[in-house]
Amino acid sequence: MSETKSASLRLLEASEKISQGAEAKIYRTQLHDPVSLSESTTDGDRVLLLKHRFHKQYRHPSLDASLTKSRIAGEARALIKCLRSGVNVPGIRMVDATEGILGIEWIDGKSVRFLLGGGAEDDEEVIEDGDVPEGEDDEAEDEDLLKEYGVSEDALMNMIGTEIAKMHQADTIHGDLTTSNMMLRHPSSPKGLQLVLIDFGLAYMSTLVEDKAVDLYVLERAFSSTHPASEPLFAGVLKAYEKGVGKNWTAISRRLEDVRLRGRKRSMVG
Amino acid sequence: MLAQLISISSIERPYVALGLEGSANKFGAGIIRHDPDGSTHVLSNVRHTYITPPGEGFQPRDTALHHREWALTVINEALKKAVVSMHDIDCICFTKGPGMGAPLVSVALVARTLSLLYRKPLVGVNHCVGHIEMGRQITGTQNPVVLYVSGGNTQVIAYSQQCYRIFGETLDIAVGNCLDRFARVINLSNDPSPGYNIEQEAKKGKRLLPLPYATKGMDVSLSGILTSIEAYTADKRFRPDGPSAEDGEDIITPQDLCFSLQETVFAMLVEITERAMAHIGSRDALIVGGVGCNERLQEMMGIMSRERGGNVFATDERFCIDNGIMIAQAGLLSFRMGFETPLAKSTCTQR
Amino acid sequence: MQTFRYPHFPPELSTVHVALFNTVTNSADIRSRIIRASQLQGPDGDTERNALNFAFIDARLICSLLHLQTAIYQAVLAHAQRSLRTKTVHSEILWALNPTNNASIRRYGVSDTATSLIVVRISSPDLPDVQQLMTSVVSGTLSSLNQLPEITDWGTVKKYHKLNDEPALKAAAKNVTQERIVVNEIVTSTVAMKSVSS
Repeated sequence: MSETKSASLRLLEASEKISQGAEAKIYRTQLHDPVSLSESTTDGDRVLLLKHRFHKQYRHPSLDASLTKSRIAGEARALIKCLRSGVNVPGIRMVDATEGILGIEWIDGKSVRFLLGGGAEDDEEVIEDGDVPEGEDDEAEDEDLLKEYGVSEDALMNMIGTEIAKMHQADTIHGDLTTSNMMLRHPSSPKGLQLVLIDFGLAYMSTLVEDKAVDLYVLERAFSSTHPASEPLFAGVLKAYEKGVGKNWTAISRRLEDVRLRGRKRSMVG
Repeated sequence: MLAQLISISSIERPYVALGLEGSANKFGAGIIRHDPDGSTHVLSNVRHTYITPPGEGFQPRDTALHHREWALTVINEALKKAVVSMHDIDCICFTKGPGMGAPLVSVALVARTLSLLYRKPLVGVNHCVGHIEMGRQITGTQNPVVLYVSGGNTQVIAYSQQCYRIFGETLDIAVGNCLDRFARVINLSNDPSPGYNIEQEAKKGKRLLPLPYATKGMDVSLSGILTSIEAYTADKRFRPDGPSAEDGEDIITPQDLCFSLQETVFAMLVEITERAMAHIGSRDALIVGGVGCNERLQEMMGIMSRERGGNVFATDERFCIDNGIMIAQAGLLSFRMGFETPLAKSTCTQR
Repeated sequence: MQTFRYPHFPPELSTVHVALFNTVTNSADIRSRIIRASQLQGPDGDTERNALNFAFIDARLICSLLHLQTAIYQAVLAHAQRSLRTKTVHSEILWALNPTNNASIRRYGVSDTATSLIVVRISSPDLPDVQQLMTSVVSGTLSSLNQLPEITDWGTVKKYHKLNDEPALKAAAKNVTQERIVVNEIVTSTVAMKSVSS
């Protein structure tokens, strides 16, 4: 038993907890605290998002440790691959594999889910039958959100398709594409307006057409279960994706058809 | 048959159902009664298992033979224990599928014959739904995420948008299958079941050996783990008969392998169950199917559920392992909602 | 010279002093002093090693202050977790900056011909006169860290990190400012994740 808590855990204690999922707790923090303010990194650079893959009690301790380490490593490697391939993803700022903490660039912006009027991430995911479809007031609100970013829905879909295409061309599969896992960087930030793919915790490398098709299908299902009248939106995504993957589109689109017919998650009839 | 969670209309008299199950190597007959006051009573639950010698799995043809040999004995005993005659039965429920072809058909044959002889309606039941309905009935849990784990199935199921949906599953072999095949490799006895014996041996294991941990989002892949654990038996540190006098610390015993296999595979199952729970916002987990009898799996699932503010529910071996009563329960519920399987449609579906 | 605090680290690792020296004239001398100090025995050796107890970094290879701070942080973290791969926390900074495992000191440390040096000292908060300790070793002009961008040798940085054929660079090739943002990001991220990169 160590008498003092580890440095990284003390950092977490001093940080602002943002959310908690099944796998990880998310914090906002600032590093590189300058003693005097004259020459320092810009505030933007100092703010980090910390992802803490906390210990799971049900797992055997050595399995838990090795799993945590390999997942942090996997996520970091996927991010680097994307960065080198020109995909917009958060940069890596800090890695503590022993404690299961990944520090990444804080993105100043909003999730695509939010901007499309799908509510904040913690809201109920599934639309129950009998839900009132978006009224006029809601639509006006959505337009305001996107207006602030200076981008139309169509343009946004275009950006999404383009990023995913770049990612797949780099043979990286996201594994959990939803509108909550995409953010629009605010135009006032140093890197400007960008569609950023986030949360590569389930990402892996693959050249298989099947994996890319399933990646797209998961997003298609996410669109339809979170945003009403989503077909034209997703069609826009696919159009930009098609452009981005060029001659690979034929095989992927065919496989996407198959995946749709199979239904990724089946219902039980029999 | 879509299992629906809408409230079922109440009945004016007791209803009794006979359920027949034989999709794998167990033949079960169960008799259940639903009372007008809403209560459910298990009148009898009889089962006979086809056990093969160590190192051997069960083949469809021999299994079907076993079921044909034992069907009438088991059914008669069920009737006797329930103090009920065939004339008192309201419907005959049988496993339509999924499962092994020949055994399923031999049970369906018995069901059809009884149906014609006694002029009773037939109700075909989905084996998986049988497990789930029985699990819900026994444990009283309302809307849990269900982990269905057996020799032939490994699925995470949740009720969403008016039917049961599969949220995650195995991409290759079922966990029970994985455990059974491993038991054969180290020559464990199949009596009472290979899984039970793995569980007992695992308790004596000390070393956690590295094994490939393969969850892919909501799904799991088990064939890689099976290959790896088999490879360990060829490792020069492996001692099939336990450590000898000259051995130091660095040896591998069959107990270590059982321990490592369980810890890794069960952690994977708990993880995909938790993912589904997080996705739909549920806190309770229900484990059904033969592998659900495993106490270590129940323990791990319990730790995870309690961390989320919920609970794990599991039944004992009477109901975890394939049995006739679950078929009777699911079948009677369907029957009460007006469902019936005409003779012409009482075929079996392997998938 | 600038000072940064990391209160969550143990006190002796919680304070980082960073200084940029331009027009350095005695790089060769510093380098030979370092080599000799590692071989000297006894109390004389200790005094010399104390005097040189810094990380000397070739400023041309640093893209930004964030890049440098990221390397320093990972080095301090390794020391706090007793998982240093090199001898000291200062040498670990050079290791962290290097995308490969070979020639960290030769590439990123002080070379005979270096004209701009970054000097880093990791210490407890109460170490006095750090700036003076630095200027007594380095003969050069103490400059503001804001001058870093003018010193960076982007070509060598891209070469060492093998960036020239990467899609990200090709996409940004037409715009120098954009390309530098991209390079800085990749380089900083590479440094941050070196501990898990293989």
